[in-house]
Amino acid sequence: MNAIILSAIFGVVLMMASAFVSNRSLYKTIALACLVLLVGANIAETLGYSFFTIDTHNMLAFNKMGLFFNTICFTATLLYVFISSSEIERVDNYTAEYFALIFFSLCGIAILTSFNNLLMMFLGIEIMSIPLYILTGSDKRNLKSNEAALKYFLMGSFSTGILLLGIAFIYGATGSFGLESIKVGTLQMQLSILEVTGCILLLIAFAFKVSAAPFHFWTPDVYDGAPSVFTSFMASIIKVAGFYAFVKLFESRIETTSFATNPAVGVNWHLLFAILIIATLFVGNITAVFQQSVKRMLAYSSIAQAGFMLFALFSVNAFSKEGLYLYAAGYCLATIGIFAVLVRMKDYTFEGFNGLAKHEPTLAFATTVCLLSLAGIPLTVGFFAKYFMLAAVVKQGYAWLAIVGVLFAGVSIYYYFRVIAAMYFKSADENPAAVATSSTVKIGLAVVVAGIIILGVWPHALLNFLYF
Amino acid sequence: MYLVPLFPLLGAIISGLFRNQLSKTAAGIIASGAIAASFVVSFLLFFQVKSGGAIAVTPLFTFIKTSAFTIDFAFQVDQLSALFLLIITGIGFLIHLYSTAYMHEEEPHHFARYFSYLNLFVFSMLLLVMGANYVIMFIGWEGVGLCSYLLIGYWFKNTNYTAAAKKAFIMNRIGDMGFLLAVFYILQKVGSANYATVFAFDGFSSTDVTTICILLFVGAMGKSAQLPLYTWLPDAMAGPTPVSALIHAATMVTAGIYMIARSNVLYSASEIAQHLVAIVGLATALFSATIALKQNDIKKVLAYSTVSQLGYMFLGLGVGAYTGAVFHVMTHAFFKALLFLGAGSVIHAMHHEQDIRNMGGLKKHLPITHITFLLGCIAIAGVPPFSGFFSKDEILAAAYAHNPIYWGLGVAGAAMTAFYMFRLYATTFLGSFRGTQQQLSHLHESPISMTLPLMVLALLSVVGGFLNVPEVLHGNAALHHFLSPVLTSESKHSLSHSTEYILMGSSVAIATLALIFAINKFSKNPELGEATGLGKTLANKWYVDEAYDAAIVKPLNSVSLLFKNFVEKGIDGLVNGSGKLVQYSSRQVRLVQNGQVGSYILYMVLSMVILFLLWWNQPILTKFIQKIF
Repeated sequence: MNAIILSAIFGVVLMMASAFVSNRSLYKTIALACLVLLVGANIAETLGYSFFTIDTHNMLAFNKMGLFFNTICFTATLLYVFISSSEIERVDNYTAEYFALIFFSLCGIAILTSFNNLLMMFLGIEIMSIPLYILTGSDKRNLKSNEAALKYFLMGSFSTGILLLGIAFIYGATGSFGLESIKVGTLQMQLSILEVTGCILLLIAFAFKVSAAPFHFWTPDVYDGAPSVFTSFMASIIKVAGFYAFVKLFESRIETTSFATNPAVGVNWHLLFAILIIATLFVGNITAVFQQSVKRMLAYSSIAQAGFMLFALFSVNAFSKEGLYLYAAGYCLATIGIFAVLVRMKDYTFEGFNGLAKHEPTLAFATTVCLLSLAGIPLTVGFFAKYFMLAAVVKQGYAWLAIVGVLFAGVSIYYYFRVIAAMYFKSADENPAAVATSSTVKIGLAVVVAGIIILGVWPHALLNFLYF
Repeated sequence: MYLVPLFPLLGAIISGLFRNQLSKTAAGIIASGAIAASFVVSFLLFFQVKSGGAIAVTPLFTFIKTSAFTIDFAFQVDQLSALFLLIITGIGFLIHLYSTAYMHEEEPHHFARYFSYLNLFVFSMLLLVMGANYVIMFIGWEGVGLCSYLLIGYWFKNTNYTAAAKKAFIMNRIGDMGFLLAVFYILQKVGSANYATVFAFDGFSSTDVTTICILLFVGAMGKSAQLPLYTWLPDAMAGPTPVSALIHAATMVTAGIYMIARSNVLYSASEIAQHLVAIVGLATALFSATIALKQNDIKKVLAYSTVSQLGYMFLGLGVGAYTGAVFHVMTHAFFKALLFLGAGSVIHAMHHEQDIRNMGGLKKHLPITHITFLLGCIAIAGVPPFSGFFSKDEILAAAYAHNPIYWGLGVAGAAMTAFYMFRLYATTFLGSFRGTQQQLSHLHESPISMTLPLMVLALLSVVGGFLNVPEVLHGNAALHHFLSPVLTSESKHSLSHSTEYILMGSSVAIATLALIFAINKFSKNPELGEATGLGKTLANKWYVDEAYDAAIVKPLNSVSLLFKNFVEKGIDGLVNGSGKLVQYSSRQVRLVQNGQVGSYILYMVLSMVILFLLWWNQPILTKFIQKIF
């Protein structure tokens, strides 16, 4: 509860700040302070100190798992704002509003980690997404940014429609919006074909949100068109939050609606998920290979990474639960780190990275660590994230799917290492390609690198919080 | 307790990272100081163990945790490891001190690199003996292997030396595989690698114990240079001489002895493994002693002698004389380090000349080196009351109790040892100088930092034996009593005192005869020409290297050539082809992303339809998939 209410209040505070505080450089200080408070308040609630007692009529249910996920997302946002605040100021004049929108998105995330009711889930998704449409189009004078915002909005509304349709089907079949009551209901009643249809529709809507193929089409255009700082936010924190909600929604009903429990109308979820996973891994990895722009490559790589996160949905067990948290933290860290470097480049193509190691060794090193983590090389958190996901699948008895995953991870090495090769083994043609970096950015990147490596050596530093 | 390995680790890190900044003096002081500090702590620990007697296991942190087993990063200091700690840090310190002078011609950053490696080696070795379970021991085991590789190839510009380094590493890896398999086997059976748990475990069948022991012994064969994996050790003499003394004589090569002595509970339970250890040890002892008879490189003689002495230690382990083996490790560490350092002093004086045929008459030019070297030779030859006599005698007596043939062959080996050592001594120090005039004019005694370790070690070689004077000679067998808590009560040989006296007397007499014969033969007219007949075979080390080359390396090379020419082309095509396929499909797939929202939504709707169709037809699909897999 702390997180939901405070993030909304902080959003309003920042909007007010834009009206009453004329000193623009203060905004980021306020935003950072608010974020620190937000993280603190969320940890306080995890420890049992809830500041608000509101009867939500069981529409929201707070548990340690969800609150801990909040902590990961909020801390990642804190790191993100710390690194990128100067870039956010550079987008346009409405700095305070951008921060406000980020806070509203966080409010949506806080709802998504605690919903206990399909309507709250719908609200959470919309509260999280609508600020993103605006942020995507925030570079108003740039045609690409406008186009991306419009595309995002159009396709987003389409998926919202499907989501609502799915909820309506389920309500029609069971007479309830509650997450829990559906579970109890289906055990007692005959599983209705309408409910299964609703579930598949929900699956499609969520596949859209987390950009799983074949519902990923918005991702490359939107990520490419949006201002890079906001792409960083969308590709990291928003994405993992979407996954959390996805898994949370499905783990409550995956068994009751399955083919095994209800042979008459149940779904063979493993088949369906496997098809989604393979399609996503294929499209993401294969298309990323031929991109010329690093930003667009990262958009496809985020699709590929989504393919790996989908494993958590495929095999709902203890391994995959741990893997999801580790993946969330590791993926956020790496994405924030790499975009922090990317926004400082003049040229987003692979050639633009040529010789970066010569004149900006710190940036090059941080980029390398982030890319290694994304590729899943040992000693980085990316390795353990992938390891847990694959181990979860193997534990479910689907070793062949894990092999497919490993093969595509092998393909991903190609495009990640292209950047590393450009930085270290090619020389720049002319003037330095990156703008000067402030010490703030370097500190932030140091934190990112340290996080990636510490979690890569000792993943239980994070996972132990799940069980304390 | 953790301070003991911590100091060398810090020393290694500091002198490694700041090798470009540190002056030679600073690097030398840091590295030697680190070892001195850990020697002091080891000393205190030793007396703590001696007075307390209780085995202390100190866990530092959980190293590996899985559902099947937990492995702690834990140290164990008991009588056995405390003794090894003293040997390692004590001799380690002397050799560091010696190195500061011996390596003085090196560039500052190479000098610091050398000391960094050396400190890292001591750290790994300490880890090896202090670990409280087989996994920590394995970490140290691999660490010393790595350092040995780095130090043999220290002069990395010489391809022969790097080849020797590679040979050492690969031979060791073969042995390591055995060790690793043994650790897996233990973990699989016991679910723990802690010594205490493993030794107390009673669920082993006799096959289990024998398999584990033999696998462990394969590891020891590699590290401690036993037949058939010994060939790396003579080549390892390519490294700087202090390295040969520390790693390839005094400490690392005794790791195998330590491991088996540590696992004595297991070995005592497996007669087959014990026999194997004894036979391999004895065979190695004899085999390499014959080779040493005809070598002309001062370090090669010592190297083969090391292999041979290691063989004696394994013989001791095999016949159940664990204390004797550990005792011999200690005395051998004293006199072999002394001999190597003395050889280093000679080489230093002779400007890197190692062929004894070009030496001779060095007695008057290098007085301290001469005296200490002579003492070392007497000690290794087993002349009472020098240290080598007591330790070797203990092993031989146990061997006699086990099987008189072991004893007879052992004495033959001891006679050869005395012979080749005094051949070496006589050719090098007696007679007249045979080197060039230029070398003669440069002959000089080494500086004090080199001669001081020599003198300390010489003293230890002379008196070290009194630590464990057997009861038959009215001693109190101090070491035996000290080690008895960790080593199983050995099959106490029931030899009467008179038998023991006869055994001692005859072995000493034979060795002394061989000694005198060698001095007489080689001080006046050393053999300078090429050897012939059997001598040639010996000089060429029984052609073992050539045999390995023909039996293993050549066939491997030709198979690899075959693979390179035919199989690799096919695989290359496959790999490159799949790369091309990925690129091609990438070019095609990206065209789907055409930027039109309309077509995107069309694709999405089509995909939805397909998903629903999949749902409807899933029974057919499931059957289809089941057929494929």
